[in-house]
Parts: sequence; C-alpha cells; structure tokens
Amino acid sequence: MKALSDEILMQKVAEGNLDMLKVLFDRHHKHVYNFLYKMSGDSMLSEDLTQDVFYKLIKYRSSYNNGSFVSWLFTIARNSLKSHFSRNHKHHDGLEVLEYKSDKEENEDVEDYSRLQQALNQLDPEDRELVILNRFKEIRYEELAEIMGSTPGAMKTKVCRILKKLKKIYLESL
Amino acid sequence: MKNNHISDLIPAYLDGTLDKNTQKKAEEHLSQCPDCQKELEEMKTLFKAFEDDVPHVPTNRLRNKFEEALEAEKESLGKMVPLVPKKKSNWATNLLKVAASIALLVASFQMGSLFQQRKVDGDMAILKDETLQMKQTAMLSLMENQSASKRIQGVNYIEEFEHPDEAIIQALANRLIHDENDNVRLTAFEALSKFSASDTVKNVFIEALGKEKNPSIQIGIIEMLVQIQEKKAIAPMKKLLEQEDTQPFIKEQIKAVLPKIT
Repeated sequence: MKALSDEILMQKVAEGNLDMLKVLFDRHHKHVYNFLYKMSGDSMLSEDLTQDVFYKLIKYRSSYNNGSFVSWLFTIARNSLKSHFSRNHKHHDGLEVLEYKSDKEENEDVEDYSRLQQALNQLDPEDRELVILNRFKEIRYEELAEIMGSTPGAMKTKVCRILKKLKKIYLESL
Repeated sequence: MKNNHISDLIPAYLDGTLDKNTQKKAEEHLSQCPDCQKELEEMKTLFKAFEDDVPHVPTNRLRNKFEEALEAEKESLGKMVPLVPKKKSNWATNLLKVAASIALLVASFQMGSLFQQRKVDGDMAILKDETLQMKQTAMLSLMENQSASKRIQGVNYIEEFEHPDEAIIQALANRLIHDENDNVRLTAFEALSKFSASDTVKNVFIEALGKEKNPSIQIGIIEMLVQIQEKKAIAPMKKLLEQEDTQPFIKEQIKAVLPKIT
C-alpha cells in the first residue's frame, strides 16, 4: 500500500474506494495540522480545521482532477483557514483577525510557542504561509506554485526573500 | 563571481536542489566570500530550527472523528450507489430479466387473445342461437301469413336450418297437408323432402299422399316414398289407384313404381 502514490490512492478514493482515504489521512494529516497550527497558533482550531479538510476530501472526492494530491490537499487547507478567518472577521467585527499578533496576545497563556514559531508569527500571513509550506519536504516549488497559482521560478525568488527576512527575525530573537 | 553574492542560492544549496554546475560555482564562491559564508551559517541555523521544531501532534479526537465521518460516508454510499459495482457483473442477469419480461408479455398477450377468442366464440354461439330462434319465429309466423307468397317465403327459410326442430317440421307438415295454395304445398314438400329420413316426415308424406289432389305434388310424393322404400306407402298408393278422380298418368306412375317397393 505504501508503494502507491498519493495520486493513485486519491483516484481510487474518487472511484469509491473510501478506505484508501485512511492511508492518505495517515500520511498527511500531521502536515496539514502543523501547517494550520503554525498559521494560526491555535491547536484546537487547527484540529477542527484539519478535520474539516478531510471532511471536504470525503465530500468532494469526485472533483479530484488527478493533479498533484499535495497541492490539492493544501489548497483545501488554505481555503478552510481563510474562510474560517473571514467568517470570524465578519462575526466578531474584530480588527485584523488575520494578523496573527492580536491572536497571539490572547492565546499566550495557553500555547507555549517555540522561538521559531514566535519568529514566524512576526511575518505577514502570506509570507508565513509560503515559508511554512516551503519547509515541508513533500512540497516542491512546482506544488507551491500550483497552490498559489504562480510559477515555480517566482515562488523560488519569493521564498528566498522571505527566508532571509525570517532568518533575520529569528537570529535577533536568540 | 566575486562580486556576485550567492545569497539567493543558499536555501536551495542547503536543500541540495541545485544542479551540479550551479552547486560547484556556489561552493567556489563560498570558499572565497566571508559574507556568503556568514549567510550560509545563519541560514543553516534557521533550517536547523525548522528541523528541530517538534511538530505539534493532534489529539486522537482528530483521527476518531475522521474515521467516524468516513464510516458514515461509506454507509450512505452503500445505501445510495449499490448499482455502480454491480453494473458490469449483472449484464447477463439484466439480459435474463429483459428476456423474462418479454416472455411474460408474450404469454400474457397469448392468454389474453385466447380468452378473448373463447369469449368471442361463446358470444358468437349465443348470437347464432339467437339468430336461429329469430329466424324460426319469423319462419313460423310467415307460414301463418294470409299471403301465399309470404307463406312460400316462410317455407323457404328452411334452408337456414341444418337441424330444424319438431316445431318447424310440424309447421311444414301443416303447410304440406292443409295449405290451400298448390305452390305453398309444393314448396313445403320440397322443403320436407330434405328430411325424408325422419319418421315424422315419412308419416307426413303418407298422410299427404292420401289427401293431395295436385298431380305434380302427388308424383313428387310418390317418387320420394319409393326412393326411401317406405312400405307403409303401398296402402295409400293402392287406394289412389282405386279412386275415380285420380289422374290417369298418376295411376300409371303408381303402377310403374309399386313393384319397386319391396
């Protein structure tokens, strides 16, 4: 089973073999969860959103277009995160909910962030997202470009710039 | 390359995703450029931080909920789309079903037409019977008519009956014996002659022979009686021979045929 690629597995799921989704869940749920956690800094929310991502995988399995599974998975994850924040933004008429800093202060007691996480939190959400995704070994520049709707070359340049920025923030905090 | 820092290549260099040529150039530059070496070391530190970053582990609730959702979906799938996997394997069964349906259809049609036919036959029999009865009534009433031609018409209705009942025979006999019109009696005789096998008809002929005055009818009756070899007819024939008013050629006829009745 491990030999089968994500794409083949997802195709089987789309054809109705739902058990294959368990394999995909095992392979990827931690990455999705960690992406969401690094983005939001909220473990409970990340868990709920990861749940939501895999629900959507079940629900929209037939719309899988045989492209890169990881790209598809993280596109769904990003959308879940975005719609969560924009929904909360509307309901709480809160300011800059997407800005992590405001969240951070509220959650500081609950979550014990690593220094890296603290550095990440100081980046813009867009930049943070790119660099987090870039650091996942399974996401190459091709997949990143697919997720962001850009080209691999542009992604390479952008990620490099963000990494330099992050490095500066991180080293300063040491 | 001296003035061309490779800081933009460092992440890829660390990830090992540079092609060989670029990697070589980067290494060359790094060996001579302290700035880039510093950059490399710093970036290494950041990358190490990423690697050392202990990934947050979601609770078991996540897996449980996912598996719950998956089971629920599988269940609803089992209810809703059992046709999809069956599609291929059931081709032959479907064909059989179609064949069975057609057979059933044909059988029902045959049964239907059979019953229909029987019903029609039954109806026809009833109708025929009714028609015969009507004709019989018509025939009998016509034979009682004032007009001789109507009576002849009535007598002629006998052709419609293959097996006329006693009432008809009796009515015809009455015409033959009692009708005042020669033509009616002649027609009645002709009608009755078809049923000469019947004893009633034979007796009627014998009775009529005694009474009949019309020579042509007399000859007809005589010929008929001879033909059927009716022995009872001998007596009235002899009587006719003795009677004064009997036509001479009738007497000759009787004389000629009498020996034939043995």
